[in-house]
Amino acid sequence: MQVAVDGPWTPLLGRLSLEAIPYTNPILIFTFAIAAIVGLVVVGSVLYFKKVGYIWREWLCSVDHKRIGVMYIILGLVMLFRGFIDGVMIRTQQAIAIGPNSPGYLGAAHGYLPPYHFDQIYSAHGTIMLIFAATPLLTGLGNVIVPLQVGARDMAFPYLNAVSLWLTVAGALLCMISLFVGEFSNATWVGLMPFAEMSSNPGVGVDYWMWALQVSSLGTTFNSINMIATIVKMRAPGMGWFRVPVFTWATMATAIIGLTAFPVLTAALCMLGLDRYVGTHFFTAGMGGNYMLYINLFWTWGHPEVYFLMLPAFGLISEIVSTFSSKALFGYPTMIAASLGIAGVGWVVWAHHFFTMGMGPNLIGFFSAATMIVGIPTGVKAFNWIFTMYRGRITLATPMLWAITAIVLLLLGGITGMMLSASVVDYTVHDSVFVVAHFHCMVLVIGAGIFAAVTYWWPKVFGFKLNETLGQWFFWTFVLASVLVFIPMFQAGLDGETRRLDYLFDTSLRPLMLAEVTGMGMYFVSLFCFLAMLVVSLVKREPAGQDPWGTARSLEWLTHTPVPFYNFAVTPQVHALDELAWRRANGLEKAQPERYVPIHMPSSSGLPFIIGMLSFVCTFALVWRIWWLAGASLLAVILLVIIRSFDKNEGYVLSADTIAEMERKLHTVSLIAEQSKVLPVGGQVEAH
Amino acid sequence: MRHWRQLGLLAPLALAGCSTDNIRLFHPDGVMGGLEFHYTLWITGIMLLIIVPTLLMTIIFPLRYHHTRNAKYTPDWHFSAPIEILAWVIPLGMVVVLAYMSVSAIYRIDPWTAPALASAPGAAQPPINVQVITTDWQWVFIYPDQKIATIDDLVVPAGRRINLTMTSTDVMNGFYIPQVAPMVDVMPAMISKDAFEIDHPAEFTGFSTDFSGAGFSWMQFKTRIVAQSDFDAWVKSVQANPDQLTYGVFTQKIAPAQVNYGATPSYFSVADTGIFGKVVMDAMNGKTYPVPDSLTKSVASNEGEAPASTAAK
Repeated sequence: MQVAVDGPWTPLLGRLSLEAIPYTNPILIFTFAIAAIVGLVVVGSVLYFKKVGYIWREWLCSVDHKRIGVMYIILGLVMLFRGFIDGVMIRTQQAIAIGPNSPGYLGAAHGYLPPYHFDQIYSAHGTIMLIFAATPLLTGLGNVIVPLQVGARDMAFPYLNAVSLWLTVAGALLCMISLFVGEFSNATWVGLMPFAEMSSNPGVGVDYWMWALQVSSLGTTFNSINMIATIVKMRAPGMGWFRVPVFTWATMATAIIGLTAFPVLTAALCMLGLDRYVGTHFFTAGMGGNYMLYINLFWTWGHPEVYFLMLPAFGLISEIVSTFSSKALFGYPTMIAASLGIAGVGWVVWAHHFFTMGMGPNLIGFFSAATMIVGIPTGVKAFNWIFTMYRGRITLATPMLWAITAIVLLLLGGITGMMLSASVVDYTVHDSVFVVAHFHCMVLVIGAGIFAAVTYWWPKVFGFKLNETLGQWFFWTFVLASVLVFIPMFQAGLDGETRRLDYLFDTSLRPLMLAEVTGMGMYFVSLFCFLAMLVVSLVKREPAGQDPWGTARSLEWLTHTPVPFYNFAVTPQVHALDELAWRRANGLEKAQPERYVPIHMPSSSGLPFIIGMLSFVCTFALVWRIWWLAGASLLAVILLVIIRSFDKNEGYVLSADTIAEMERKLHTVSLIAEQSKVLPVGGQVEAH
Repeated sequence: MRHWRQLGLLAPLALAGCSTDNIRLFHPDGVMGGLEFHYTLWITGIMLLIIVPTLLMTIIFPLRYHHTRNAKYTPDWHFSAPIEILAWVIPLGMVVVLAYMSVSAIYRIDPWTAPALASAPGAAQPPINVQVITTDWQWVFIYPDQKIATIDDLVVPAGRRINLTMTSTDVMNGFYIPQVAPMVDVMPAMISKDAFEIDHPAEFTGFSTDFSGAGFSWMQFKTRIVAQSDFDAWVKSVQANPDQLTYGVFTQKIAPAQVNYGATPSYFSVADTGIFGKVVMDAMNGKTYPVPDSLTKSVASNEGEAPASTAAK
């Protein structure tokens, strides 16, 4: 039954041996040295400042949605950096390896990366950017913002929330450790079949990719369940469905996609796992297998996954455009309809990822038309943002600049996307870098939305604003870099350059490749501006008030800055869609409750972290086929889940006096002097 | 070319100072490439009618309604039925038009049957049939009617319809000749089809578009469109070639993984016309040609280049 593997296998270490360590590759040794130094500095400073206990108690064991959100965002940013460096390597390799006379370095005939290394890099770039950068960043923002926007104490399942985070971290760790132990997949981020099968890919690379996706998508599925439960059940009194802020609506739509689409990926990867470990033939070319089944299943998840990332970004842009236009969002009901419409139509367009496989004109026609339909709700969104700005009073602060850029990118990505949805155009540029440039436009919409959101909500989470000047520098250098990289890439695609080339035979592409690599240099400048922005803002730490932008509209800006761990001293009563704007208009934004009621809060727990790390050990052992370790760690996870289910701890209650005391302290700190009016308390003791 | 006048539609996209001379897809050749470009221009042009005004509004409104400008300010204006209806109807109208174009285009250009070629001059003569097999990482072209085969060299006569029937030994590839033929995936254990017709002698480079392993970057083939008489002469010379392509030669020498740096062509006479069908059946029966780990790791590294390029033909 069990598939025989190439090379030695021992019961104790499986396929793992010293040969798995790529100590002959100078690039990886350099990377390892940098990683080791950074790791030592981080661990060393934690030890030096005696913060081990603090980190363990306050962060690793935390079930607080804001802390979990911040850890998601940190994970996303670290992985974004890794993915960026992968991108830099792809671009520099293609800028050097052009034509038969191009120079070769470090053992490569052309450029400095032989195909074996290069193929892993772009596979890692795609996997990391989508699964371990964009997804955690958006999940993190959702984690921070959604419970605040609906006026909740925490997520519906705070413990599950922590489990989701640490499962995602386990996947990211697996991706990272593949750098130094073994190899990563060379079968692209989508997993080409039958190329990713054992016959063509006998190494551990595909296993790393598969388990990293598998374990992190489990986390994403849990998170989607959590989001839906939170939004459906935990809205503050008075918040009917048409008073739910638009970002929360977008997260709702995205969580529905996540809950329904990710199991498809899980199932597809399970079948691939059976092929690779047990020797079944689900996706092989022969023996009754059908790799088109995998391609259909993958994109059945993969296309909704695109909107899974896109919709929260649309929600972020909506909030920001409205705030910085000092105006209510235009067309709120149609905005929600558009979000749900995109989520729905996103399910019936997957086959446009393989028009070239020849499914016949009837099916192609259907999927082509269905894909174009996505353009309608997306167009509606663009129009609504534009009419939100119309007759507004616009402040071009950094978040707004990012949001406007996102709209422009969406138009550019939209027109190229509509071109590609016509199969007749797709036949000329499918699998070309034109497609790569198109979807990078789209993920840059997500990126711009994320940067806008991080700048916008930063003061709410940390209590001080990010430096505006450096923020603008970061923005403009990033835009310039993107233009330099992706406009030439469109042109190279129209010139017929195919994706995933380690070596370009067409020397006429050289000027374009040089322009693109210049753009990557510009990204470095922008990265420097970003880091400088973080450092300068951290050093200055100018305290921000309850509503640091002055024109914020939704519920999260009602509570203190930074938000106390219990979010709201009393659960707010919601009166309008834009609650803060409504209170401001009625002079109630600084209103204080007449009395406090006890708050039920969840207890923190170290189990989610341990479960996550055990999952990492388990998947690592599965990659290397160390059966005893995989079995033992899986058993430990199951036991921990069982033990937890017998746990009688139902959280703790903050008494009204404690809250009153903490609120009194917070007021003296955040300098809110006037307490004009008194609002009634909504209910009795809140269930969390 | 009749497409030149339509290029005006793309003018707003063209960056200042950029010429289209070095953008291949703007210079299609033959009926298939020409039609593809025709639709590309119309679809892009129609969309620009909406995209350009939207883009202008996105950029002008933030400046026009900047808080320093004291422009008209309506903080509570957040819904207008006429605008909302337009916001849905305009994209809907555009999608109806574009979807109609896209669907009608696919019925003209479908690579399997290529209806567009039915009215081309070549329709008067029987088509030239070419069987395409991709291996790791070469292109094998078998001409069953002429009983010849080539590696990495597709030679076809001008003014004739070319019908390609394609399969792969064990992983997927993509068949593509920019400007000439639609991109179609080449799949193991399955048969895919493509077709094109060029009415004058010309040369192009075709290549694989779907990643198939370490040697993928070197998977090119020459595409030479030659006059009918030249083609006939060329066929005769290849038929006289003592190198015979048999199923045994194919499975033992050509199919195992190797890289043909520089796409150096080789030519064979063929007695056994069933090779293509056997390759399809082999793949269905689970035959694979595993790439040795050592080759994957050494492709195009300095030490790997020499032996791989001299692989047996």
